[in-house]
Amino acid sequence: MGRQAVRLVGLVAAAALAAAGCAAEQKAAGGGGSGETPGVTATAIRVGGVLTKTSASGYSTKDAEIGARARFERANGAGGVHGRKIEFVGAEDDNQDAAKGDAAAKKLVQKDKVFALVPVHGPNFGGAAFLEQQGVPWFGWATGPQWCGTQTGFGYNGCLAPKPGAGSQTWWGNQMAELLGGSEGKTVYVQTTDSSGSKYGGKTISQSFEAAGFKIVGINSGLPAAAPPPDWLPYVNKIMTSDGGKAPDLVVSIIAGTKFNVGLYSALKKAGYEGLLSDATSYDAAILKDPATAQALEGVIAAPMFEPFESDAPEIAQLKADVEKVAPGTVLTQHLAIGYWSADIFLKILEQTGKDLTRERFLSTANGSFTYENAGFGRIQYPRDHNEPNGCGALVKLEGGTFKVAKNMKCFDNVPLK
Amino acid sequence: MSELVGYIVSGLVTGAVFAVMASGLTLSYAATGVFNFAHGAVGFLAALLFFELNVGFGLPAWLAGLIAVLVFSPLLGYVLHRVMFRGLAQAGETAQIVGTIGLTIALPALGLWIVDLTAEPLGLPRADATSLPRGLGPYPPVNVTVAGVTLDSDQLLTFFFAVLAAAGLWAFMRHTPYGLRMRASVDRRRLATLRGIDADASSAMAWMLSSTLAGLAGVLAVPTLGLDPTAFTVMLFVSATAAVFGRLRSIPVTFAAGLGLGVVQNLVAGYADFAEDVTGLRTAVPVILLFAGLILLNRSGERVAGSAAEDAPPPDYLADLPVWRRRLPWVVGLTLLLGWTLTRPADDFYVSVVAQGLVLALIFCSFVVVTGIGGMVNLAQASFASMAALTCGWAFSAGLPFPVAILLGVLGATAVGVLVALPALRLGGRILTLATLALALLADQVLFQVDAFSNGTIGWPLPAFGLGFADTTDPRVRVVLLLALIGLVALLVRNLERSASGRAILAVRSAPAAATTSGVSAPRTKIMLFALASGIAGLGGVLFASFKGSVTATDLPAMAGFVWLAVVVLQGVRRIGGAVLGGLIAAIFPELLATWHVSAHVGAILFGTGGMILAKHPDGVLAQMAEARYRRRRRRLERARAAEIQAEAAATARAGVTERAGVTERAGVTEAEAVSNGAGPPPGGGSTTGASPGGGDAAGADAASPMRAVAGTSEDSADGGALFRLENVVAGYGDVTVLRGVDLSVRPGEVVALLGANGAGKSTTCAVAAGDLPVTAGRVLLDGVDVTSWPAHRRAREGVLLAPEGRGVFPGLTVEENLRTWLSDPDPVYERMPQLAGRRGIAAGALSGGEQQLLTLAPALVRPPRVLIADEPSLGLAPLVAERVFEVFAELRDRGVALVLVEEKATSALELADRVAFMSLGRVIWTGPRAEVDETRLTAAYLGVSR
Repeated sequence: MGRQAVRLVGLVAAAALAAAGCAAEQKAAGGGGSGETPGVTATAIRVGGVLTKTSASGYSTKDAEIGARARFERANGAGGVHGRKIEFVGAEDDNQDAAKGDAAAKKLVQKDKVFALVPVHGPNFGGAAFLEQQGVPWFGWATGPQWCGTQTGFGYNGCLAPKPGAGSQTWWGNQMAELLGGSEGKTVYVQTTDSSGSKYGGKTISQSFEAAGFKIVGINSGLPAAAPPPDWLPYVNKIMTSDGGKAPDLVVSIIAGTKFNVGLYSALKKAGYEGLLSDATSYDAAILKDPATAQALEGVIAAPMFEPFESDAPEIAQLKADVEKVAPGTVLTQHLAIGYWSADIFLKILEQTGKDLTRERFLSTANGSFTYENAGFGRIQYPRDHNEPNGCGALVKLEGGTFKVAKNMKCFDNVPLK
Repeated sequence: MSELVGYIVSGLVTGAVFAVMASGLTLSYAATGVFNFAHGAVGFLAALLFFELNVGFGLPAWLAGLIAVLVFSPLLGYVLHRVMFRGLAQAGETAQIVGTIGLTIALPALGLWIVDLTAEPLGLPRADATSLPRGLGPYPPVNVTVAGVTLDSDQLLTFFFAVLAAAGLWAFMRHTPYGLRMRASVDRRRLATLRGIDADASSAMAWMLSSTLAGLAGVLAVPTLGLDPTAFTVMLFVSATAAVFGRLRSIPVTFAAGLGLGVVQNLVAGYADFAEDVTGLRTAVPVILLFAGLILLNRSGERVAGSAAEDAPPPDYLADLPVWRRRLPWVVGLTLLLGWTLTRPADDFYVSVVAQGLVLALIFCSFVVVTGIGGMVNLAQASFASMAALTCGWAFSAGLPFPVAILLGVLGATAVGVLVALPALRLGGRILTLATLALALLADQVLFQVDAFSNGTIGWPLPAFGLGFADTTDPRVRVVLLLALIGLVALLVRNLERSASGRAILAVRSAPAAATTSGVSAPRTKIMLFALASGIAGLGGVLFASFKGSVTATDLPAMAGFVWLAVVVLQGVRRIGGAVLGGLIAAIFPELLATWHVSAHVGAILFGTGGMILAKHPDGVLAQMAEARYRRRRRRLERARAAEIQAEAAATARAGVTERAGVTERAGVTEAEAVSNGAGPPPGGGSTTGASPGGGDAAGADAASPMRAVAGTSEDSADGGALFRLENVVAGYGDVTVLRGVDLSVRPGEVVALLGANGAGKSTTCAVAAGDLPVTAGRVLLDGVDVTSWPAHRRAREGVLLAPEGRGVFPGLTVEENLRTWLSDPDPVYERMPQLAGRRGIAAGALSGGEQQLLTLAPALVRPPRVLIADEPSLGLAPLVAERVFEVFAELRDRGVALVLVEEKATSALELADRVAFMSLGRVIWTGPRAEVDETRLTAAYLGVSR
């Protein structure tokens, strides 16, 4: 290397070090501090959300916007919260890109001056660090670890990515055991994809089934993460022989994406599998439109983390009425429910905070042993559920081309994650 | 055991899709030299159309498939050829890679955008994760058991169509004239055009075929992959592995490798349980194979530095401007930016967007080092940034002080850069690019999946920089800090370019072998470039993470590296200015689109159209602005200069005629005449220097100026019967003018021998005559028709055949195929030349020199052209063979062919010639019947000796 180049490299490095030399630790939450609270006036509270509306893979949570809007409209119709109406500016799209999510959060806070982010629902949401540092509350579905352990991130059903030692859910296994009339001698095979996120899911969920008394005969994480495998044969072979040469009683799929699940289930059925199938994402009315998909998924037991739309609980009737009011004819989806219940919990905390509204007061109310029960999502307790899931869930079975409630929403005690 | 057989059978079936896709990739690469990263995107578009036609419009699957694969895909291939690939083929490597990467992003976006727009009014289903496309077969698929393996109808159809496509492709390439033309164009593109093959049309055909194969693969794969553009891009990478195993040349090997990949994937999925603990390892199997294939099979022989002369930097178009004027736009821009930044509030959104753009700009500066200066295209830059940020986060969380963590991060990235440089030592060009791509994907899929390193999906928190008086939570501080850092990097780059290292880099880049013999260490130079670039990218990555407050493994995905490269190259990768502009655009443009509520697809499409700009202006937007200014001035100059040369030539010719009238051939007189005409050589220049008045060049060594005196014609004034003639032709290469007003004519049944010393411009005359080289001024006439603007292949079809210098055969084609490029039935040739008949199945490259020359000329005997131009036909031949060659010419003359014979060895040519033309210094200085040629003239023509 030329001497001059060496010198300059050194110079750049030195400059960088000098810049960092007096690196201050992160400043405590700024959040404005100057008198008035951003996004709050005497008559209105401004909120907006960040969703994965579009993404390269086609995964979309855009329906959460309708759900949140429906819930806010009802609140506004009832006169708002302490005389303030909710001014919902809609949701930004993060394209399932962490950096874009971060930019979207900054835009909402710095440019649109919102009070809080509702709903936030994207698998790779990247704005967590910024929001926590600014002290801006955010509500949504806490599927990723960026939510957990924060003061400002409120998962509507708690933190779904607890750290080892923190509580981990057992409701899926327990609900399944209740549905099957006991878990005695029943075997479970867990299929995940080859990514650390999916493997983590495999760990928590197999623990849930173990806690309910099932025997885990295999956890496979061999599926390529990027795209469905062109050939399912090797994976299916493993499943079909996992229980001492036999097929297991239950296969649980921890894969997001209908395409993956349809492929897996079709291949299993092709190979003669007759046991049960369960996953977290198949509760989706849209997939019923396609007869082959419906056929592939027939019999699957989906595990939504909210009260199913087919339930006769009054809260669900209210939800349907609210949605019908703002967007007539909307097909109800998982994401819509998540948006709706996130908004519901946000409103509840607003109400408890009282008339004098600042972010600090809002957060201290929420994080000062706040408890709220609702048949729609079970029960939520902060600050506990900043670190672990609320432990509630339901089961829905696809039978004859329609979803039927198999188990209503119910909460179970968490166990520490290994 | 039966399980193993099952995996193999089933793997072959699924490998068929890779095989089809990879064959198309190899086909287009071999035929046009462009490696099409957008091959998967083409497949996606075809699949999307198939889905909408089938599910949306309710067409039967076979009809929808037919339209998507056989109508739409070739059409798309043709359109892409016209608007992009044609230009890209000449645009150099970086532009090719970036152009097609742009398409990878733009094409799916275009398709999805159209579906978005039309879904509502036409009632079409949306194309997202919930849409489940069907296959070509019955729906739902029917299961069939083959050899103990249960396959469904879609799988069987896939295999059937793949085999059909392979057989069809083979038959097309081997047994149709189109296939022959395409292979001839691949083998020797220039020669092909001289044989009347429209190489451009062959390229178009190759793109249409390749696109059809991509479309077929897309439609076959869509029932398993779904309508997910990313999945198609992943499939492209897998297919690229197969193509690499076919060395990007052999379609059969590629096809077999594709099938093999299907089997390997099944075996790994079935048996490689030991890999379970390393997350991502099994996902990465195709990538690992790709990397191995690249390293083992594709050591590039001649172009190891990663680039070649075609990547030569553009001239500095602004060289004539004073320094302050060149820097003015940048200084003004910087002042405005700083002024604006400092007047905004601390939590201003747009300042943070600008800061984000400048972070990207800093990372982009690393492209300037490795690609702009080093000429190596590196797709792993995002991984370097990610590596540094994660290392820094890991070290900081482990309790190290932040400055030490930063240093570790930058060092980590530098170390990885050196590792990546290792394959660069062996590889060059596209192969190197693919290798960096493989490494980037490996980092994403395996290294960053290690929880201990990346802390799972949560990543590491990072603090802000403190500067004592302020810290970088304030975006204004970030902007100022980044501008300072970018300034430092710019200084570094400038000094690098001007230093001894910079000269070493240029040396290694343009002529690796020469650099080595001159004592420049190529490995050291390359490693230094990579280390420097990855260090810069690493610093950018650390800042990116620190400003964001945290870093996760997915913040800077490998795919981002592609987009980045494309953005920078679009602006101009050779200058820091391009990187800064690129960074700002990358951050601000999406914000603007969102503010105006324009679909994000539109942004992607616009970005892809950038590729089309690159096809025309490979050096990017910045260089283009300067170039446009320069070109306008230059075009005027060029025309003026050509006119000057013509006028001078005409004057000389007049002078010659005058002299003939006086039957004196005294040099001095002629020159005096010329000078008095005002167009001759400057007086006082002496006879030698005066020979090249326009600032002479190619023919400079020849000191034959006295011969100008003999520039006269004997009977050419009476050439009314000329079949083919050049009129006052001026032509050259680039800035070098070689032909300076050439007049030459030939009649049917006449042999004109064009003689002259080395460098006189004989071969250039041939090239101009055949249409291989455009003329700057003057005309080319065939039978009185002005054919000046006709391309070579059209002239060849009209009967102007050039047998080029060296051997005019396609070495990769067989003797039979060589003949078929000019003849529909080669049998008469075999009757005349039995020795060729015995070798009809042998590759022409394996023939002896004499046989090759006969093979070159033999087709002309059977189907005589109207004009045959033979450039040095006896070069390197044994005397006996040369004799036979001249017999062929004699026969052709008797059959009425107009022959132009170019020879350095005059004796045999003179025996045959009817007329002789002497060339010197880019002009025909004497034409006359053979009888008038004597030793004196010859000596003068060759040695420039006057009596």
